[in-house]
Amino acid sequence: MTAANPIRVMVVDDHPMWREGVARDLTEAGFLVVATSGEGRQAIRVAAAARPDVVVLDLQLPDISGVEVILGLRAALPAVRVLMLSASGEQQSVLDAVKAGATGYLVKSTAPAEFLEAVHRTAAGDAVFTPGLAGLVLGEYRRLAAGPGRGSGPAGAAEPATPQLTERETEVLRLVAKGMSYKQIAQRLGLSHRTVQNHVQNTLGKLQLHNRVELTRYAIERGLDD
Amino acid sequence: MPSPSGGFEVPLWRALAVFRLASLAYVCALAVRDADRYAHPYAVGALILLMIAWTGATAIGYARPTWRRWPLLLADLGVVMAIVLATPWVVGRTALTHGVPTLGVAWMAGPVLAWAVSGGRRRGTVAALLVAGADLATRERIGQSSFTGVILMLLAGVVVGHVARLAASAEERLQRAVELEAATRERERLARDIHDSVLQVLALVQRRGADLPGEAGELARLAGEQEVALRALIAGAGPAAASLPDGGEAVDLRTLLGRYASAAVALSAPATPVPLPRRVAGELAAATGAALDNVGRHAGGRAWVLIEDEGATVTVSIRDEGPGIPDGRLDEAAAQGRLGVTQSIRGRVADVGGTVRIMSAPEAGTEIELSVPR
Repeated sequence: MTAANPIRVMVVDDHPMWREGVARDLTEAGFLVVATSGEGRQAIRVAAAARPDVVVLDLQLPDISGVEVILGLRAALPAVRVLMLSASGEQQSVLDAVKAGATGYLVKSTAPAEFLEAVHRTAAGDAVFTPGLAGLVLGEYRRLAAGPGRGSGPAGAAEPATPQLTERETEVLRLVAKGMSYKQIAQRLGLSHRTVQNHVQNTLGKLQLHNRVELTRYAIERGLDD
Repeated sequence: MPSPSGGFEVPLWRALAVFRLASLAYVCALAVRDADRYAHPYAVGALILLMIAWTGATAIGYARPTWRRWPLLLADLGVVMAIVLATPWVVGRTALTHGVPTLGVAWMAGPVLAWAVSGGRRRGTVAALLVAGADLATRERIGQSSFTGVILMLLAGVVVGHVARLAASAEERLQRAVELEAATRERERLARDIHDSVLQVLALVQRRGADLPGEAGELARLAGEQEVALRALIAGAGPAAASLPDGGEAVDLRTLLGRYASAAVALSAPATPVPLPRRVAGELAAATGAALDNVGRHAGGRAWVLIEDEGATVTVSIRDEGPGIPDGRLDEAAAQGRLGVTQSIRGRVADVGGTVRIMSAPEAGTEIELSVPR
């Protein structure tokens, strides 16, 4: 990042004090805060014009759900990256947001330095995992593997192939969930830092792809029913 | 004993009062028809007045929940049995043998139904047997129709008693469901409010104050701890209990372990409930608590807890980055007769059929894995 070409960030949070605090921290650290918003629909509209690289998003907005905001943002700006910043422990909404395309998650009490580092990594295309998010993703793969019948569609052969983790990916994800840094994981497993990063990235990618397939299928089913 | 103020019971008592009135009208109609055949018509008139008075008294008495107790129930049974027993004298043996009906007829089923509504099948049966006994005692000949009457009365006592019990338990369940729903809704409302206000400010205080020196930094740290505690509290807003496939009661392990989450202890778990039988979940939580206590004593308190549900097994891992457990320390502690924390963890998990794995290296922290089969 250089002053000439700073990372463009948008902050979406319905709490004004919080929004301003985060925007100030970002500006002081050299990011360009291109917009702030307290509502989901407004955020999607503004984002189309402000063209942020990264959206720092609170999942609980007064008008629409976090998932709807993320889908809207990605429709308006396919390349945008979403970093969730959540005060709530609502794990299902965090998981849904990740499946909808968010690539990072932090709780609001995260120290400023760690938060700024996370914005950098999100802008660079890396997934920002907390141990909590790793636990959720791990649980989701196991739920999907446990079999059909829990989804919305008909069970059996018509199910699209459920995404599966490789043994290595499971191993890496478990260690992230137990609070180990990528560096520690790389050391323990004898891998490079980059490889660990890629494994984590893949776990998210497969889940998001599966979710897109499911969403499309759901849309077609609904369309045919109408 | 069903609740005295029961809402579902009220219609039953009302129906009983209506039945008594209707059967009383029947008794009166029969008395008018047979007036000239009675041995003591004035005594019959007096008894019918008593029956009218008693029907009114029970209608009023049973309408009050606090009066539906033994004194009234016993008095009811006593009065009705006395009237039934007086029949042979007032009606006259000759009239009875010539086919004049007894005075009680259907009216005498009143206390049987009252007993059944108040106390279920057993009480209904007892009252039916007593009244039927009194009725049979007044008869010269015990014929087919007398038996039919007794059987019908017994049947009424049993069936009405059973229905009353069903109504009472249905009401209890409804009451519990209503309470649970109200509590859940209130909790969700609180969670929303807390999220919108308190959590945001606490997080902000912690964030902005974290780098300040001295007391301000300490205050910020405290605010952060409260934020985590509150977040864990409202995250547990789902129902703690669920039912297992085999019908037993299950608890969500995430809710039990949620209380250990703090600024120092991070909890990772699936987004969906991890149901376990109450006892298993309780032992796992206690073992996790013991492990975390140990982390607090020896490893600086920072720890990560991971809950994994692999279908056939549930695993809880507790990891810290403390000094680790030196080789031989565990054996040494056991040799000295100190059971120590690992022993208590192993004991608890073994009690519910699980296994414990402890991995530790000097200066590389400790990882404890607790696995229990489903």
